[in-house]
Amino acid sequence: MIATQLLEILFFPGLTFFVWIGFIFDWLDRKTQARMQSRRGPILAGPFGILQPVADFFKLTSKEEIIPEIADKFVFLLGPSLFFSAPAIGTIFIPVLGAQAIVSNDYDLLFVLFILGFSALMATMLGYAAGGRWAIISIGRLVVQYTGYEVPLIVALVTPALLAHSLSISGIVAAQQNIWFIVLAPLSFCVFIVAALAELEKPPFDIPSAKTEIVGGWMTEFSGRPLAYIKLTKELGYAFLSALAVSLFLGGPLGPVLFADPALQSILYFIYFIVKLFAVGFLIFTIKTALARVRIDQAARLFWMVITPLSLIQLGFVMVLRW
Amino acid sequence: MTAFDIMTVGGPLLIIVADLIIYLLVGRLGKRSSGKGDKYQPFTGGEQEIAPRGTYSSELFVYATLFMIAEAFALLLAGSFAATSYFYPLLFLTGGSSVILIVTWWLMIVGGLRP
Repeated sequence: MIATQLLEILFFPGLTFFVWIGFIFDWLDRKTQARMQSRRGPILAGPFGILQPVADFFKLTSKEEIIPEIADKFVFLLGPSLFFSAPAIGTIFIPVLGAQAIVSNDYDLLFVLFILGFSALMATMLGYAAGGRWAIISIGRLVVQYTGYEVPLIVALVTPALLAHSLSISGIVAAQQNIWFIVLAPLSFCVFIVAALAELEKPPFDIPSAKTEIVGGWMTEFSGRPLAYIKLTKELGYAFLSALAVSLFLGGPLGPVLFADPALQSILYFIYFIVKLFAVGFLIFTIKTALARVRIDQAARLFWMVITPLSLIQLGFVMVLRW
Repeated sequence: MTAFDIMTVGGPLLIIVADLIIYLLVGRLGKRSSGKGDKYQPFTGGEQEIAPRGTYSSELFVYATLFMIAEAFALLLAGSFAATSYFYPLLFLTGGSSVILIVTWWLMIVGGLRP
């Protein structure tokens, strides 16, 4: 029993599965962006260039790791591994083959929220460990952005918890058997997508790593394997946040039951999950490609003056609905 | 603890350990270099003079940390309606506080706290 669970955590539907989804998301993101800009995107590695992110990862890992003189070497070298662990741990709480995730408890949504916060904090640590002026400017922006989007993100995630009367992701998925929470809380879904863009540092909130302004932001000094891991973490984060949106607002893997055989029905649940996951991913790719970067003060104002009140209005609506 | 409770703690630990092992193994693919000289200086963006790493004001990080602590407590308060035991609230609180404390301590030691 435990051995099976361990294999599920490490391979399917756990970490390895989500890492591959992350690679495919990266490829789709680049393809979508290229199409919207009248380019072809990756075409060389694998059919339609689908293996390009994998090739990029291995290319980076085989390059020289240069450790800056002023860097805090311990955090600089081992931090990317811990940074990667944050979304990697989150993936085990996502139900993929049915309403039940590999690991679940009454409070796993809180755990996931902590993971999201920890990710931002870890990025701050990595930037500061690397040193350099661009990294220092970047982490200032990162912290300001983090304090802006964290409150609406939490409120947006607590809304489905309130609807389901559960703080377990599996519990929230099970509560959407009859109606998806995107119908009851559409504003929370929109707020979550906006906050997810900020969490992933994607346009219009790529302020902490704005290439044309501050080189690579907090990632400027990283090279070789640490940089490969940081990029992989971002790809995994894409997949994880999309999967979280699917679980909390789109019924997770649940859908029409067509088979009496649980194994066949699990396959069907898996297909439902993948379709929803890529739909959310495609929505994020399109938004990020279509919008230009905002300034940090504009982002902070947007989050505190618009997004947070919107999330609270939705929460109030849901509380009235529950009452 | 039931098998499910063990996996709640063991699952994340397993991922951290597996990830660290793979990360260290992957590190053998490329070479690593550190030292002194131009190659190991932080990227300056073409400017000749760059200020050395100095002390910084930790206010921003202290506020961010306090923000996270307040957030953790608010979440626990919000989640208390479904509480069946003290185990998970205490586990998350202990885990979360330890990480926050370590991070804050590290930022202050490395950056040098300026009063």
